[in-house]
Amino acid sequence: MYIGLSLSPFGHHPSAWRRHRGTAALGFQALAAQVKLAEQAALDFVFLPDLAGKRPQRALHPEATPFEPTLLISALATVTRRIGLVGTALTTQHEPYNLARRFASLDLVSHGRTGWNLAPGDNSDRAGEYVQLVQALWQSWDADAFLYDKQGGRFFDPAKMHVLDHKGEYFTVRGPLNVNPSPQGAPVIAATVTGAAQSPAAGKAELILVEAATIEEMIAIADRLRSSRNGPEPRILASIAPHIATSMDEAEALRREFPMELPELVGTPETIADSIAGWQGNFDGFLIHPPLAPDGVQLVVDGLVPALRRRGLFRDGYEADTLRGHLGLAAPAILPGGAR
Amino acid sequence: MGEQMKLGAFLMAGGHHIAAWRHPSAVADAGTDIGHFIALARIAEAAKFDMIFVEDAAAIREKDPNLASQAARSTMFEPLSLLAALAVNTARIGLVATASTTYNDPYGLARQFAAIDSLSGGRAGWNLVTSASELEAANFVSSGLRPHAQRYERAEEFAAAALALWDSVGDHAHVLDGETFADAAALTPVAHQGVHFSVDGILESRRSAQGRPIMVQAGASDAGKNLAARTADVVFTAAQTMQEAQDYYADLKGRMARFGRQPADIKILPGVSPIVASSESEARAKYEALQELIPDEVGVGLLASYLSIKDLSQYPLDGPLPEMPPTDGIQSRQQLIVDLGRRENLSIRQLARHFAGARGHWQLVGTPAQIADELEARFRGGAADGFNVMAAHFPDGLTDFTELVVPELRRRGLFRDEYEGATLRENLGLKAPFTPREES
Repeated sequence: MYIGLSLSPFGHHPSAWRRHRGTAALGFQALAAQVKLAEQAALDFVFLPDLAGKRPQRALHPEATPFEPTLLISALATVTRRIGLVGTALTTQHEPYNLARRFASLDLVSHGRTGWNLAPGDNSDRAGEYVQLVQALWQSWDADAFLYDKQGGRFFDPAKMHVLDHKGEYFTVRGPLNVNPSPQGAPVIAATVTGAAQSPAAGKAELILVEAATIEEMIAIADRLRSSRNGPEPRILASIAPHIATSMDEAEALRREFPMELPELVGTPETIADSIAGWQGNFDGFLIHPPLAPDGVQLVVDGLVPALRRRGLFRDGYEADTLRGHLGLAAPAILPGGAR
Repeated sequence: MGEQMKLGAFLMAGGHHIAAWRHPSAVADAGTDIGHFIALARIAEAAKFDMIFVEDAAAIREKDPNLASQAARSTMFEPLSLLAALAVNTARIGLVATASTTYNDPYGLARQFAAIDSLSGGRAGWNLVTSASELEAANFVSSGLRPHAQRYERAEEFAAAALALWDSVGDHAHVLDGETFADAAALTPVAHQGVHFSVDGILESRRSAQGRPIMVQAGASDAGKNLAARTADVVFTAAQTMQEAQDYYADLKGRMARFGRQPADIKILPGVSPIVASSESEARAKYEALQELIPDEVGVGLLASYLSIKDLSQYPLDGPLPEMPPTDGIQSRQQLIVDLGRRENLSIRQLARHFAGARGHWQLVGTPAQIADELEARFRGGAADGFNVMAAHFPDGLTDFTELVVPELRRRGLFRDEYEGATLRENLGLKAPFTPREES
């Protein structure tokens, strides 16, 4: 199965910050330490959420990300080697050309380890055109377009550059993208699905992160997503909040103190791994929201992941170098009516 | 110890020379190699440069695919992605990137620069541009390039909103004592209702060690100079002659009093493209070797784009420049090229090669002492507070400068031995962030 870690400075419980004295947890080094832990456990990716649009406008929010997520990915990419980095960006906060080159650049900095969690932020028609446009811009260059021929004076083969000339209802973009393609072809497109409604944008996602209050609801959402999908199967991951401890009593105490809105798995690494094993037919994997950080991340790495490995549910180490490789996703298909 | 110069290292994949990537020692795919840029930033940092600088184009730079395919500048890292990576791989050097006020919004861009500023511990700078190219416009709007005056009107409002957003979170706003997360008294929500933007609330960020990013500009039109005089901490400029450089320097610094600022509050850094070697003949040979790598059609295409005219190839290459039509592109650059061509009686081909070399900036070819003499003359002659160094090719052109010219500048007491402060603002010797005000 696939496992992602949702990154947060203090943990995902709204009061987790009360356990901290000082601002160290908001710093880059503390966040990078969490990501390096996740990489030690060979997790497929870390997920960088963004409150943008949902934050209180006139107050500082403890759950807000201390750094704009796409730029945090770039910094994290230089201090990690294998783990995938999936960041949230709203279609209402970036022009499509800017977003396309941001993520294309992140994919170069990380050598093919990034994903874009597509947050629509507005009407679904616009978001649908947006995502199609971004995907087409990522196909501006054939993989072998760049020649670097010093003698002949050809940097690239002009026949392998594709000018988009997109004129849509919401956007006009000539192209081509002025960033080279990455080792994984293009960033992975992710989307968070929380209920019945599925936007056309989420229909393009290769990695779907399901969020609901109960496992049963998430199973229903995953089943519906699979049955309504034409084309390649997405990876569907369920969001869970594990309260991990060495004894059941301690885990229950954690739950009482830090109750979560997501489905909670309460117990020792072994009992939680048993529960997860029971749902492996329902999901392709799980996105873990530790209620507390960094200790909750440490417990995943030291306890839960080894317990999953003992059950043959998670690989022993990385088997690929790119996020697409980790997730077993093919390079992006050539788009009908796209760049070529 | 007298006043010392400020130095920026203007980074660009293979080098500033248009044919740098073809040089035998060049790593041709350097533009996609983050390790290459980290290494360059560390070279500049070891030499105690104030900052590295990266420019931007939100489009391919040349419309004709044949011409584009002969230049390494067609693709690049998006600059803020690059800066974020450099921020956590350097410790002292300032990190300045270009971003457009025409194709961004104030909240998003202010938040992004705040992230770089926090990641770097107070070393970020924003080079504000309004994007003068048609090819960039075509990636964002159906209506084409907006007129110069409209772009600057939007830029003025954009800068004001960004500065207010950076100042919306005060120095000790994050408390985190177990009881209180943030001190509401340290927050100053923005309530901006303007012609182009409405911004409400505080920036989702932390106050950086230098308060807020350094403001950089390169505008040389009247509107550009006024915006710089009111808001900039650093100004990049292009000047060929001592006289041009002095005129610009006096003009810009003379505008500052109107906005309640002192001349020392802005550091003016003209671009300089030095080709240095231990003997003059060796330096000249290095320069010629690069010049010979420029295909005529590439040089002439680049010249046409700087002149903001569509096609130069219809004119005889060995003849003079034709009369120029008025432009909505970069007006100052067009004038500079026309003046140079007339002054030195250069043909289109000669101008094209000259510009491909340093792209309109000041070209110096010589020994460390000769180059230091020239820099010192402009620094002491009221023409510059320092320089933005544009190495012809990387990494060799940069290491030539740091190993040969920087020691010579130090012997003359013109450049620092060690960083003075921890932030870019401190190293530039600038005061705490100020609130720009209207003309008085």
